[in-house]
Amino acid sequence: MLQREYGACVDALSEAFHNADEAAFFAAVDHIVHMREPRMLGEIRRLTGGLQKALERFSIESRLADFAEHEIPGARTRLLHVINMTDAAAHRTLDLVERSGPLAERVAHEAAAVLATLAAGEPEPLHVRLEQFLPAARADCEQIRRNLAEVLLAQGYQDLTGQIIRSVIKLVEELEQTLGSLTRLSGDVVEHATLGSDPAMAHGPVVPGVTQGEIAAQQTDVDELLSGLGM
Amino acid sequence: MSKDCKFLVVDDFSTMRRIVKNLLHDLGYPNVREADDGETALPLLRAEDFDCLITDWNMPGMPGLDLIKAVRADARLAKLPVLMLTAEAKREQIIEAAQAGVNGYIIKPFTAETLKEKLDKILGTAAK
Repeated sequence: MLQREYGACVDALSEAFHNADEAAFFAAVDHIVHMREPRMLGEIRRLTGGLQKALERFSIESRLADFAEHEIPGARTRLLHVINMTDAAAHRTLDLVERSGPLAERVAHEAAAVLATLAAGEPEPLHVRLEQFLPAARADCEQIRRNLAEVLLAQGYQDLTGQIIRSVIKLVEELEQTLGSLTRLSGDVVEHATLGSDPAMAHGPVVPGVTQGEIAAQQTDVDELLSGLGM
Repeated sequence: MSKDCKFLVVDDFSTMRRIVKNLLHDLGYPNVREADDGETALPLLRAEDFDCLITDWNMPGMPGLDLIKAVRADARLAKLPVLMLTAEAKREQIIEAAQAGVNGYIIKPFTAETLKEKLDKILGTAAK
């Protein structure tokens, strides 16, 4: 094999060397190098391929370590902040609603008393009633108006929580892509775990496009289902 | 059932408890107590006399379904009217809740009318 492939070349090289024929000598050397080239190139390609894969794997793994160390805990903190913000805004709104209700009730109650006086048909007590009622009604309505303006402002949380949730969605997308690349690189066949549909388990609110199975879209569906069961 | 009947509202979100409490006030039921999951609700139910339990399903600690099962297994509480107020809307879950012994099932988001309608129904039934 060695003799057959390289015999002629080595002979030519040796002959040129003995004859001190520089041109023939280097031509023979070039010929040998040329013969070795494809194998060398193949080897280099294999080595660089392996190196590239190792680098890629290293970069994916360090990205994953970054996710685990910083970004996931950060996302958790951000989502907790969203819960706290929505909680605060809801309580603020409920405070204002609870404070406005009695004011509206008082205006309605007093207005009913004025109407009763009016029905009685005596001008003197009506005049006194109105003098008491109108300034109080104005003050109560102004307070209700201010409370409503604050209810409006309390809804500003949606903008802020929306931005935070979007940033977490972006993180989840990145994590999904990185895990996808890792799976492709490993060439592993991933067994997809199927989520059991244990009816005793709580799944949380229905999310369009995510929640699977038969869902009661509204209260009437629930009522129909239960009456079908004899309830 | 008289308007002074005593309610226990169980939900892990304080805002939802407050909303339900406000609606009950508006319906003329001022006597309302609160608990944030089944584990805190159960001792209250055993220690005091309640006329109606309104519970969420998805709660950390003891979920609503387990609470209902515990209530039905307790001889003193077995007949307590129970209304489930939850975001869980899968058909098999509603059936599961019915089998566990709920008297009414409302899915969130809900309206004041739905709450009134279900309460009238289950408290009326209980009064018989």
